[in-house]
Amino acid sequence: MLQVLGTAAIAAQFPGFSKWGFACGHIGKALQIKPAQYQPQFFTAAEYTAVERLSEIIIPTDATPGAKEAGVAEFIDFMVASDPGLQYPFRTGLTWLNAHAERVHGKRFIDLPAEQQLSLLEPLGFKDKAQPGEEYGRKFFSLIKEWTVIGFYTSEIGFKELDNPALKLYAESPECPHKNDREHQHLTPVIS
Amino acid sequence: MAKQTYDVIVIGTGAGGGMAIKTLCEAGLKVCALNAGQRLNPEKDFRYHRMPWEMKFRGLDDPKYRDESFGYMDNEYTKEAWDHEIPFTVAPGTKWMWPRCKAVGGKTNFWGRSSARFSDIDFRAASLDGYDVDWPVTYAEIDPFYTRVEKMIGVASTVQNRPSNPDGTYLPPFKFRCLDFILESGCNKLGIPYLPDRCAQLTQPHEGHPACHFCGECTTGCDVGAFFSTPYFLLPKAEATKNLELRTNALAKDILVDENGQATGVAYIDRNTRQEFEVYGRAVVVAASCIESSRIMLNSKSRHWPDGIANSSGQLGRNLCDHLYGESAHGYLPQLIGQPSFPDHVGDSTIAWMPRWQNLKDPHEEDFIRGYAIYPDGGCEEFPGFATDLDGFGSSFKREVKRRYPAPVSFGIQAPTLRSDKNYMDLDPKVKDPFGIPVARMHFEWDENTLKMWEHSKKVCAEVLRAAGGELEGSGDAPEIPGWSLHETGTCRMGNDPKKFVTNRFGQTHDVANLYVCDASVFLNCTDKTTTISILAFSLRTSEHLIENFRRGNHKTA
Repeated sequence: MLQVLGTAAIAAQFPGFSKWGFACGHIGKALQIKPAQYQPQFFTAAEYTAVERLSEIIIPTDATPGAKEAGVAEFIDFMVASDPGLQYPFRTGLTWLNAHAERVHGKRFIDLPAEQQLSLLEPLGFKDKAQPGEEYGRKFFSLIKEWTVIGFYTSEIGFKELDNPALKLYAESPECPHKNDREHQHLTPVIS
Repeated sequence: MAKQTYDVIVIGTGAGGGMAIKTLCEAGLKVCALNAGQRLNPEKDFRYHRMPWEMKFRGLDDPKYRDESFGYMDNEYTKEAWDHEIPFTVAPGTKWMWPRCKAVGGKTNFWGRSSARFSDIDFRAASLDGYDVDWPVTYAEIDPFYTRVEKMIGVASTVQNRPSNPDGTYLPPFKFRCLDFILESGCNKLGIPYLPDRCAQLTQPHEGHPACHFCGECTTGCDVGAFFSTPYFLLPKAEATKNLELRTNALAKDILVDENGQATGVAYIDRNTRQEFEVYGRAVVVAASCIESSRIMLNSKSRHWPDGIANSSGQLGRNLCDHLYGESAHGYLPQLIGQPSFPDHVGDSTIAWMPRWQNLKDPHEEDFIRGYAIYPDGGCEEFPGFATDLDGFGSSFKREVKRRYPAPVSFGIQAPTLRSDKNYMDLDPKVKDPFGIPVARMHFEWDENTLKMWEHSKKVCAEVLRAAGGELEGSGDAPEIPGWSLHETGTCRMGNDPKKFVTNRFGQTHDVANLYVCDASVFLNCTDKTTTISILAFSLRTSEHLIENFRRGNHKTA
């Protein structure tokens, strides 16, 4: 909300920007996401639970909101429902994951405790933990990771996570603030 | 109803057509302009500061339309502006992308805004390196037109004294971002220029247009007109004269001729009703963009012009040139990892450039002739595209995306092709568009010289990144496919010899004295610079030549 106000406040300083009241008005009209009531359009209930779980593992809720709060599973379901080209790889990928979970732990992926879910996914998501014979799973994991990244960082919550500058307007061309260190050799990281 | 005759019919309202329309109307000539699509309403048809989560498909567009799209510029924000109805074909072995903005103003609604002047090193390139032929103009002749165009549109840059890039009159430049200072230090170590680009984006109010508000959404259309586009900058001036009639959704089919083979008007099809109309004028200006203009002219067959109007040279559609685009290198600047986000994307890719530095002292310094330019970019983009390439998942992944958000950089090449007999467009003998008009068929391949530039750029950009203390991640596997740059030129080249060139040095066709061409098709090649400001300058010159021909009585006013 701060960014929205910031946008309006900066816009108001521009002469001849009467249209901006309108422009800024609709920035805040994000859809209200209510995951509890969502009816999947493509995935079965069990598949959808797995997609929710996977997206929340890829971008978890920690000190800041994650894929859950951003409604990423809904977005993925909507995009897969809209794009026949994605349906086969998602469905077969989820099937592979369940078969893999059954083989290793005797249960479907979503029925496993969190530690076992993570231990199955680590070889798929971390290059240095990759296991031979799991190529299909790695391919599926990068697919769902890609769509989780798209869903999260195109959401309002994702913009806030990065303090995305795209929400703001500027009265003049923004300039590098490090006048005494143009080569940027001596900056202190603020995000560790 | 009495047959109405205008002074001039102008086909197209982009940079070339828009400049012709304004110049002709202000000179008191009655103009009828035809445009293939509708007029846009910025509030409704541009992005207008809508955020991705306000869009049904987050700005990515409905996947079911993906196959119908002819280019990467189509997206959910500006979909209505692009042509999805008129197909084209490619010869075996050719890949081609041809996005066409059908809306009034054409691609000026969404263009990249880089605005460097051509120079004598371009116009006299053949004399310098022996390839092809010189342009029939000198820089001294075109210089005043560039100056007038820069005053009209406003270009932000600095005086740079570069041998290949003549300086003009500029608004204050975009200020350098952190990444620019770091990359500049790398370039300095290697003796490569790193300078503010020539960007037609208003860093201060200019000629009644408001200054930029640096939102970075330029290529989805500016909602206040803070960069040049014909609907904001030229058409209102033409409309104020009351000499303009603009017909929208009017698809030019062919140019009509009289018993002497001279142009008498244009036949067009209404896109909505599919009815055919004719509109008459004492002169015709074709400015439909390079390939489309040639397509219209090739389709204008008559007893006089069996191979297309003004095509006695057989050169219409030939000599197609394009810019090779591609990512020469990408990586990270570790200096910026962990820094707070910064508005890096406010200029939407045209803040800095590495203007041509090759083959300047000697045209044969390198193993290729001529030269290319590099557009560096990076930092905090609206979408963190690098994130899917980062390893892992979970909180460590999420934190790494945030840490690296300000740090990615990339280098984009803009390299010209050389004129070649292999690169041209013609009409597909079998395929017609839904309106019954034969479609363009593309024949194109990258030439060896251009591919050498691509290889050269990959080496140099990797060196620049390393010299700047950056981490090189890689480069594009291959250049983008031809047509990607939207800088096609040369299908209707200008020259003094009517046997070898379609138009004379003023863009007036040799064969048909009252037919003029006002777009990049008259250029002999695409040079290492972008096309729009030169289209504007040449169109202004051609339009004034046309006006002079009316004054002298060579064309009679209607």
